[in-house]
Amino acid sequence: MSTPRLSAIVPAAGESRRMGRPKLLLRLGGRTLLGRVLEALREGGVESIAVVGPPISSPEGPEIAAVASAAGAIAVSPETRPPEMRRSVEIGLERLRVDGERDGILLTPGDSPGLTAEAVRLVRERWAVSPTSIVVGRSGGARSHPTILPWDVADGIARMPEGWGINALIRSHADRVVEEQVSEDVGPDDLDTPEDLARWRERLGEPMISVKVRLFAVGRQRAGRAEIEVRVPASGTVSDLRRAIILQHPALADLASRIPIAVDDDLAADEREVHAGSRVALIPPVSGGSRP
Amino acid sequence: MIEITESPLDHAAITDRVRSTSAGAVCTFLGTVREMTGERRTIRLEYEAYPEMALKKLAELEAAARARWPIIDVSLVHRVGALELGEISVVVAVSTPHRTDAFEACRWLIDTLKEVVPIWKRESWEDGGEEWIHPGLGGP
Repeated sequence: MSTPRLSAIVPAAGESRRMGRPKLLLRLGGRTLLGRVLEALREGGVESIAVVGPPISSPEGPEIAAVASAAGAIAVSPETRPPEMRRSVEIGLERLRVDGERDGILLTPGDSPGLTAEAVRLVRERWAVSPTSIVVGRSGGARSHPTILPWDVADGIARMPEGWGINALIRSHADRVVEEQVSEDVGPDDLDTPEDLARWRERLGEPMISVKVRLFAVGRQRAGRAEIEVRVPASGTVSDLRRAIILQHPALADLASRIPIAVDDDLAADEREVHAGSRVALIPPVSGGSRP
Repeated sequence: MIEITESPLDHAAITDRVRSTSAGAVCTFLGTVREMTGERRTIRLEYEAYPEMALKKLAELEAAARARWPIIDVSLVHRVGALELGEISVVVAVSTPHRTDAFEACRWLIDTLKEVVPIWKRESWEDGGEEWIHPGLGGP
């Protein structure tokens, strides 16, 4: 028997509302979140991958397509943003069908930071010996990623009732589900909020740096000093710095969440990266301008 | 000329520095410490700057004003530290060939300076209260 043909679909069209910026492009351990997932798939032995991103006209669309292409994946950029993961999978299937049917489809979201090449290999090898099974990865005591659906199951997505998602599809074939333990890690494997990101950085041993932040006026008054030191991830941004100040210097929490931050003497956007040598300051509103 | 200083400001000397035989107009604005804000009486003001950024922003303001008006010379000087009532906190002096440009540039420079240059003031009130003035920030 020949090796069954497997392709992966990576839904990557989420709006990252709770993160506040495109989370698949966040850097974790020096690589983008999406780049990490694609690398794990490739090292885990999946050769053909379709990344279903947002429309190319969306702010993050071009960069997501670029990350996908750089990893050798097919970048799919639909005209409108898929409203949920099911639609992204349908779009991915339509694209893959152009090159002919497969025996199975591996699914893993673009934001699965815990996905390893080993997990991909274990699930793939488990499926290869029974290609009519649905194989679901299991981490600790819970189902995680990736999942492999036999082609006939995946193909049934488009015919499911409205409102049904991928989990409902898997439940409707409960007799075909096989679980494969891929890691002993416990804890949630999603990454939706800045707090999740901080937890993942810690879990993956991301290096931290110390940044000195100068304080003026009400900031200096509340902290009781003119400068604080803040620990942030080495590839962190102004937004990470705000979070770190809130956690590490509670007296400044209210200010850090809402006043501008200057990096190297210019007000900085939340996406701007912060380095160990950066000159950083909290800038409360200036006194003038209210009554000229 | 751009300067942030703890010394009292000599507005006449600062004005003299921008005078020129090419100028037909010199406009000088002085910001001074006001006693009454509504019903409250000020006894002292303290100004604090983020010096590196403030100097950079002042230089950017000068460059932007020079690009917009035919400025011959300009001085932007802000005092920091504790100031008594009536003392000068800021001087903007501009010279141009004609007066309309001098007035407009001077007005724009002081208005923009008060919005973008990181210099803060703390009021000491007669009733014993003290507070940093941060419009829009709300209470502690």
